[in-house]
Amino acid sequence: MNYTVSSIAPIVLLPFFAFVINAFLARKGGKATVAAVFLACAAIAGSSIYAIRIFNDFVFGNYSADYNIHKIFTWFDLNGGGQTFTVNMGVYIDNMTAVMLLMVTVVATMIHIFSTWYMHHDMNYGRNGRFFVYMSLFTSAMLGLVLSDNLFSLFIFWELMGFCSYSLIGHYYEKEKTGDANVKAFMTTRIGDVFFLLGIVAIWNQIGSVAYVDIYRAIAEGIFTNVDNNVMGVSLAAFSGVCIFLGTIGKSAQFPLNVWLPDAMNGPTPCSALIHAATMVAAGVYLSLRIYPILEAGHLTYFVAVIGGITALGAATIALVQTDFKAVLAFSTISQLGYMVLGVGVGSYNAAFMHLITHAIFKACLFLAAGSVIHGIHLQEMPRMGGLKNKMKFTWIAMWCCTLAIAGVPFFSGFVSKDRILGDALVMATYNAKWWIPTILGFAGAFLTAFYMCRMMFLAFHGTPRDQEAYDHCHEEKLSWNRNIPLLFLSVFTLGVWFAGSLTGQGFVKLGSKDGKYEWFKTLIQKPKVEKFVDYQRQPWGSTDIKSTQTFPTAKYDNTYGLSEEAAHHVHVVHYWGAGLSVIIAFSGIFLAFLMYIKGSVNPGWWVNSFNKYYRTLQNGYFMDHLYIKGFIQKGLLPFNNLLARFDMGVYDRYGVDGWAGVTKYIMGVAKWFDNLFVDQIMVDGTGASVKVFNVILRTIQSGKIQFYIIIIVLVLLGYVLAL
Amino acid sequence: MFLDTMFLLSALATLGGALMVVMSKNLMHACMYLLLSLFGVAGLYATLGADFLAATQLVVYAGGVVILMLFAIMLTGGVEEFVNKFGINKIPSMGTTKTYTIGAIVSLIFSFVILKTLSPLFKNYSQADLPPMESTVEDIGVLLVTDHALAFEISSVLLLGALIGAAVISRPRKINGGSK
Amino acid sequence: MISLSSYLIVSFALFLCGIVVIIARKNIIAMLLGMELILNAGALNFAAYTRFVNQNLDGHVMSLFIIIIAAAEAAVGLAIVIRFFQIKESIHIDDAVELQS
Repeated sequence: MNYTVSSIAPIVLLPFFAFVINAFLARKGGKATVAAVFLACAAIAGSSIYAIRIFNDFVFGNYSADYNIHKIFTWFDLNGGGQTFTVNMGVYIDNMTAVMLLMVTVVATMIHIFSTWYMHHDMNYGRNGRFFVYMSLFTSAMLGLVLSDNLFSLFIFWELMGFCSYSLIGHYYEKEKTGDANVKAFMTTRIGDVFFLLGIVAIWNQIGSVAYVDIYRAIAEGIFTNVDNNVMGVSLAAFSGVCIFLGTIGKSAQFPLNVWLPDAMNGPTPCSALIHAATMVAAGVYLSLRIYPILEAGHLTYFVAVIGGITALGAATIALVQTDFKAVLAFSTISQLGYMVLGVGVGSYNAAFMHLITHAIFKACLFLAAGSVIHGIHLQEMPRMGGLKNKMKFTWIAMWCCTLAIAGVPFFSGFVSKDRILGDALVMATYNAKWWIPTILGFAGAFLTAFYMCRMMFLAFHGTPRDQEAYDHCHEEKLSWNRNIPLLFLSVFTLGVWFAGSLTGQGFVKLGSKDGKYEWFKTLIQKPKVEKFVDYQRQPWGSTDIKSTQTFPTAKYDNTYGLSEEAAHHVHVVHYWGAGLSVIIAFSGIFLAFLMYIKGSVNPGWWVNSFNKYYRTLQNGYFMDHLYIKGFIQKGLLPFNNLLARFDMGVYDRYGVDGWAGVTKYIMGVAKWFDNLFVDQIMVDGTGASVKVFNVILRTIQSGKIQFYIIIIVLVLLGYVLAL
Repeated sequence: MFLDTMFLLSALATLGGALMVVMSKNLMHACMYLLLSLFGVAGLYATLGADFLAATQLVVYAGGVVILMLFAIMLTGGVEEFVNKFGINKIPSMGTTKTYTIGAIVSLIFSFVILKTLSPLFKNYSQADLPPMESTVEDIGVLLVTDHALAFEISSVLLLGALIGAAVISRPRKINGGSK
Repeated sequence: MISLSSYLIVSFALFLCGIVVIIARKNIIAMLLGMELILNAGALNFAAYTRFVNQNLDGHVMSLFIIIIAAAEAAVGLAIVIRFFQIKESIHIDDAVELQS
């Protein structure tokens, strides 16, 4: 396959053109809106075809861990005066990008198709198709972010996605709550983005480029850890790593900045699916995977892992007590993102990425199913649901698949990815005792995940209807293709076999896969080897891709993780323990939920009453919103703001502005006097008077009488002669 | 002697005609006296041996210009108003004593100017050593198509322009609107 | 007896007569008559100098052109006078004041 503009650019440009066209087309209403919706779906579907081609080439064609495509072009060139300042843009595709492209396009396609059903009744396809306009731009921005070869263009698309999430969360703009939610989402992620930009600037300042390959090369050459390049007393790697990771924290809703994501569910449910699964939050984890060598060089992995562990457990505990259907899913998203970040922290590179992919699929499916339920029963409160499995068979099946996946039940994708993250964490803990903290946080979170997801399922779908009126008004599920196909299609991919090449994900069974493709995910997605980029050659657009000039060895599954035999054995043993522990934890969580909500042998009400204080704490999300508003904003920012305002009014305005006004007034008085006396009276009036005098003379001469002119001619001649 | 007599007669006709042009109160008469003056100038040309010029003078002025003037005088005759539109007395069109006085003073000043500027350059030439007079027609014809060909052509264009311009300007038109 | 100066004196007198006519008269046609006198004075000077000074007939040609120009000027001037009379019912020079104000 040749990688040219025409085979890569449409991935981004098709949704983008759909956005541009729909921005004008969709608002016309009627048939034009239907055409716009169709165009949006067709554009993202076409984009997914191009993504499948690339995926096919990378995984089934080339199958090499080192294979990548890097095409650059000069965006702008400010060379001059001996300074080199060339800004390149480009496309960087490696195995991770290829998988990511496939995931984003396919999931986005499914969400688009589902949206045609879900948004159909909301004022003609979502406020006359406005929803689809932003969805196209959102997907386009995410694809551009994935294809970017440097942090700077990644940042551009990153901000574009921030704007799109703002617009989509605020889709129901007539509700005050959504207005607050989208501003909150935008401003909270902005905190992280500022630091992200700071990190980019720090890197640019030292190595003059922010392309991934240049960063990797600089790491290999030790520029990031060189003492000469220290920024504010810490090494460049630590500084830029923390700053960029703060961008991830904002975008992926990690611990201190996680408050925006639960509110983001105020948007339409398909947009929540897109934000929580394929695009927005995935971008943050994708970024932290891209900068993994920086984190490693800056010794930040423990910090990252702890942040991830805290997020995973904290969000899971909050999700335990939520009664809103979508709120449970929102907190589970935060929790699962915590697992991904934990995976990055513990060096489980491919497992973190795999969890990103698997989570994207099952969380998209969960949100679409939730949308299906909410659309059917017209309420979101779980205590008023119950027994819905009789009315919504397909939704029930799809949702159970996803629930088992997220709970980490064997044979499902969540088990494959999450278990591997936890296993790697356990390996780290056996080496160094301080790693027990994130490990225990992760395992505890896994237990709670299984519990609260099954609680949600049991409350909503099983048992008897608790609100008979709502149950009776619930629509029977009809077999409509644009509702059920996305659900079923996505739920098929919650099986672990797609990602591991085996049913359990532990390499026990080779099911239908050739030896070469065994554990393809783990074989292909590997930590970037920075040494490889030392003498890296860039390819400008138009040149043939690297495959035609260079052959890579076909990647082989390495059972020993590239370690010594003893260490590999240790890792294997720990992984078995970890897997066993995960399975036990998952089933015990499910069993506890079963006892509480089906059998009723454990009464949840007793727990609520006994631990009411803790219950309320969890219900309010550890009062983090409260803390931010009461603590940071009202105690910190508002007094500071008032102080600044007082300084502004009292000092700057009074002495600066008003004082300057006084000086100006005095100068103006002098100028006025001068103006009146000299300019007006002498010059202006004097000019007028002189003109008046000459006017009298000249008017007499210019009588218009020819004979008088002749006399004057003669007189002038006389004067001339006499003068001679 | 004959030339002297001719010169005196011609000069007398010229200056007398010119003075009568100045003095005459009747425009028609003034035009006739102008004719006399032009005849005198033609005679002066003749005494200078400029036979072609004298003939041209007679043909163009007596036959053309003066006739044209006469027609113009006749076409523009009418009752003369003595008050203009502001109600102020107009100077009579044939002049008053006052205007003549001014004209005389100005001409005196002008003669003073000219004499003062040109008399230092003046050098008298007498009749004595002049060549005999010959016919100039042939030589003038040669000069017009050789040395002065451009001026000749331009003057022909000028005459054509004057012809057309005079015809166009004096063409009767409606005064109020409707003019083409 | 007759010399260049006698022709110049006649020409000069003729010129002054023209000047007086132009200044003293308020009638446009009368002023044109004065113009003719002035032009004739100039032409006479050319002829006289040709006769007495250089005898090469260029002066005659100049006189000829003066006569031509005088004829053209008379034609156009009289046309303007007639046109003026059609509009103003007058040939008084002080009535031609349209451009004055």
